[in-house]
Amino acid sequence: MDPFLYLDRDTFVHRLDPRTKMFLLLGAFGLVFVFVSPLYQLGVLAVVLGFGYLAQSLVNLKRIWFILVMIGVMTVILWSIFGSGETPLFLFVELESVLYGLGIALRIDTTIVAGMIFLSTTRNEEIATGLVKLGIPYRFAFAVSTALRLVPTIASTGSTIGQAQRSRGLDLESGNFIQRVRKFIPLLVPVFVSTIRSTNVFSMALESKGFGASEKRTYFLQLAIRRRDVLVLLGFAVLLAGCIALRMAGYGGLEGFTR
Amino acid sequence: MKEAFTMWRHTQMVVLVALSAAIYAAILIPFKGFTIIPGFTEVRPANVFPFVFGLLFGPAGAWGAAIGNLIGDFFGTLGLGSIFGFVGNFFLGFLPYKMWGAFFRRGENMEPTVNTGKKFAVFVSIVVLASTVCAVWIAWFNDLIGFVPFAALASIITVNNAIAGLVLGPILLLLLYPRIKRWGLLWTEIMRPNEVPQARLQTVGAILMWVGGLGALAVGLIIGLGLYQQGFAAAGFSPEGAGQVGGFAIGVGLIPFLILIIVASFMLGGREQVLAAEEESDRVR
Repeated sequence: MDPFLYLDRDTFVHRLDPRTKMFLLLGAFGLVFVFVSPLYQLGVLAVVLGFGYLAQSLVNLKRIWFILVMIGVMTVILWSIFGSGETPLFLFVELESVLYGLGIALRIDTTIVAGMIFLSTTRNEEIATGLVKLGIPYRFAFAVSTALRLVPTIASTGSTIGQAQRSRGLDLESGNFIQRVRKFIPLLVPVFVSTIRSTNVFSMALESKGFGASEKRTYFLQLAIRRRDVLVLLGFAVLLAGCIALRMAGYGGLEGFTR
Repeated sequence: MKEAFTMWRHTQMVVLVALSAAIYAAILIPFKGFTIIPGFTEVRPANVFPFVFGLLFGPAGAWGAAIGNLIGDFFGTLGLGSIFGFVGNFFLGFLPYKMWGAFFRRGENMEPTVNTGKKFAVFVSIVVLASTVCAVWIAWFNDLIGFVPFAALASIITVNNAIAGLVLGPILLLLLYPRIKRWGLLWTEIMRPNEVPQARLQTVGAILMWVGGLGALAVGLIIGLGLYQQGFAAAGFSPEGAGQVGGFAIGVGLIPFLILIIVASFMLGGREQVLAAEEESDRVR
């Protein structure tokens, strides 16, 4: 199974410049903070899901639904314990703290769904080049994109070594959690020792190809902010401004909750 | 902190950032299902890597921890909390090598391994401190934005980090150190002395780091659990002096401690370790 979330589709969201998608992601992170009421947060989530639908990326929800549900349950429980309200519900739990927990759960889930849509529609190379174009130093972006590419390789090497040792009779299932984790060390050590060992060869290969030879680099992947990017960003700005205006008019708050 | 930026000049260090981030993320991802606070933290045996890579690869290990954690979030939990996940994990890899030098006198063997009782004790204390500082950054931000209460998140992350480091760290360090040294990949062998800052009042810096880390955790727990209403910490957080649990109180109350952590990071050096490694290699030659 491909561990990455990226889905190769031909939608207008996929065609947006990665920088536009980064700004939209940051904007979505801001948008979720406008409202506290779970009802209004549901509206924000619906907007984000609608965007995901247009991007044909909601299929990835199947991979993270369990995390989203668990976040919902745990956040409501945590805020019911740590928060307080005015209307008793049962035992020490008040209605306002449950509502606040629901609102926060939706807020967190919305940011994760927004992150999922971003990753489902943006390739690793686009993220790296987009970061450089936004002013992030090339060497940092290179490290991020190289690490992203190496993760599946390391994971599959680890899995192969584990299977090989199991076929020779290694028992990884017995014992408590710490004992089982300790049994994994002899399996993992060859994986990362061989990975780290490649550092010098990797460095020489990079330098022989001119890594860091000149300050100004050219890129195979050409990024450009087009009219559709500007229109999408403008549309989002109007939405954000509308939500802020609604909140300032007194909608979407939650009365009676104290932390 | 200068070395965290000058290290990018070295191709080997850039590669070490990428490789340590990839290893950290590759081990983090399979445990994503073992959640403790869903979306925020899970059982993380991989958290041993920031301590070990931080000690061996210095700033490359710190950046590797930060990027590795971010990549781990790419596999399903990328969100606003990821921003301070990056910062917290950077400190998880940053403090081990920064604090290491503060425990040894000039001329004393300061090779980053745990082959003596003193080095083992130093490693244990560094694991506890780095775990706490990492937890404080992440929990402070998540409480400030109203995601997860400080008391719950800070205590869980501290314990979670520390267990991985204390149980697996010494074994991994003993296994890896001789190999990394043989391959010439210790940060002290790659970086030059002029790229690493000299310590300024190192002992004071180390004390400030302890006060910043443990103080932030203690004060955060006191405010978060509302214990201050029974005592000394009530003053100053609201005009009435009655305070306010969590949120703004934690957001403001912990800032002095977070500043202490940053100030201490600039005071702790690192050049002494690079010079010691140079002297050691001269002796071998």
